[in-house]
Amino acid sequence: MKTVFEIVQAVQAGTLTARQAVQESLQKIKELNPQINAFVEVWPEEALKRAEEIDARRSRGEKLGPLAGVPIGIKDNILYKGHKATCCSKMLANYVAPYNSTVVEKLLAADAVIVGRTNMDEFAMGSSNQTSVYGPVHNPIDFDRVPGGSSGGSAAAVAAGMVPATLGTDTGGSVRQPASFCGIVGIKPGYGRISRYGVVAFSSSADQVGVLASDVKGAALVLETLCGRDENDSTSLENEVPAFSQNFTADLKGLKIGMPKGFLDNLGEEVKEKILASAEKFKALGAEILEVDIPHAKYSAPCYYIITSAEASSNLGRFDGLRYGYNDEKAADLNANYESNRSQFGEEVKKRIIIGATALKSENFEECYLQAVKVRELIKKDFEKAFEQVDVILTPTSPTTAFHLGAHKDNPLAVYLADLYTCQGNMGGLAGISIPCGEDKLGLPVGLQLYGPILEEEKILNAAYHFEKGL
Amino acid sequence: MRLDDKHATTCARMVKMTLTEKEAEKYQAELQDLFDWVKQLSEVDVKQVGDCAAVRAAYLRPDVPVTDEALSQQLVGAFSVQEGNCAKVKKVL
Repeated sequence: MKTVFEIVQAVQAGTLTARQAVQESLQKIKELNPQINAFVEVWPEEALKRAEEIDARRSRGEKLGPLAGVPIGIKDNILYKGHKATCCSKMLANYVAPYNSTVVEKLLAADAVIVGRTNMDEFAMGSSNQTSVYGPVHNPIDFDRVPGGSSGGSAAAVAAGMVPATLGTDTGGSVRQPASFCGIVGIKPGYGRISRYGVVAFSSSADQVGVLASDVKGAALVLETLCGRDENDSTSLENEVPAFSQNFTADLKGLKIGMPKGFLDNLGEEVKEKILASAEKFKALGAEILEVDIPHAKYSAPCYYIITSAEASSNLGRFDGLRYGYNDEKAADLNANYESNRSQFGEEVKKRIIIGATALKSENFEECYLQAVKVRELIKKDFEKAFEQVDVILTPTSPTTAFHLGAHKDNPLAVYLADLYTCQGNMGGLAGISIPCGEDKLGLPVGLQLYGPILEEEKILNAAYHFEKGL
Repeated sequence: MRLDDKHATTCARMVKMTLTEKEAEKYQAELQDLFDWVKQLSEVDVKQVGDCAAVRAAYLRPDVPVTDEALSQQLVGAFSVQEGNCAKVKKVL
């Protein structure tokens, strides 16, 4: 599969039609999806029709959008009018989106072609894509392993070459960790960069839409198309959006990269080795490596699980089955109706709702929820202070490579701890990118993560671009 | 934070969900482990952190009623059981 840029250039130059690009994508999906389960629904006729319209506009000499003819998949929690959006949950099994999310509007305006919706952990809760009602996603590199999550379908679709880019959402690492497990690029912009209008809410203070792509330049191009203020999302930012894909510098001379003190202490040898080698490579590219101190970062994972679960228990309160979603019509009265409907949530979702409700109970509120919110403020301050000394911060994306399907089933805390490096970014509202930096002995990809301040995606994209080019 | 033995079940009822016996047993153990782990947050000195409840005024916008009839109809059409422009629900008592 060609990259995002190669498709756009070829379609605009007339050496490839949008129809050919989409057909190639649909063919790959047909061949590989039965084993991988990355897409839960594909819209071939509609995608081909749209591609033909783009080709017709080109032949009439009309100017095409910046993503002309690029086949793209969207995560199943993003609304696309007239299409199902189920969050891979039984609760929303038959829900059809009544309007377009802003990100979908932007993709369509840019002449991208949305080919289908991708598999995910139910309501984006999970980091292995094993909680989907449609079944697990298989990592394209090793079918017996997970692709990461919660945007596991989006990552696997790109890694398998079904599409050159997809949209995911990232609340604690759900774009970056699957990108790392599948050996592709995944970027979460700073909080407020992309509108979340029409994206099903999980944790409103942490959720962000992100991009998964086969290369950095493609991720940058899709990202710049999506960013910007939206009146329909009051948390979206007014700030100007740079042309990320056009602003790469000639080299990395003068770039200061911070490596947090103690971050590599409890890491497996193979991942550690790759991260240290990556730091050396950045040095060879002209960057300077400095040690920084982020003392409260170690509290990110417990903060994340309290804050996001509390917000989830509130956000998911709307799913009562009466306005939309599963409805048990045989229930005797309204209470029984609610209980029966809401019991359709899967195991992980139910658990997180209960965690959130526990943290918000008046007797636990100060000790649990308020303490987590305050510690989060200290994490943010640590990062702000670190960014006074350095331009970007380098960490592993995940402490491990992709694990086997079914592993850690009886040890959820082990899974929660695996989010340590990524959920810091959501607690701090930072921009973060994961890019491949090598493979372990089994041939499984290792990802490195670069953090930048909230509105400085350009810096991490630039560093990632040079790293990728130098691989 | 020590959770009482029936916490998972009573909390589930509070948020309008029911748990099977098997679920309740599993969640009870996992919730206790999680809250034991989260307890590490209490070792952090947060005195220097101010009032976290302050809402930044810049994030607020006035609510504007939806006047798009077609969209309203679509939203109402998604109700499981409807009567006119209202969702019809089961009796309360």
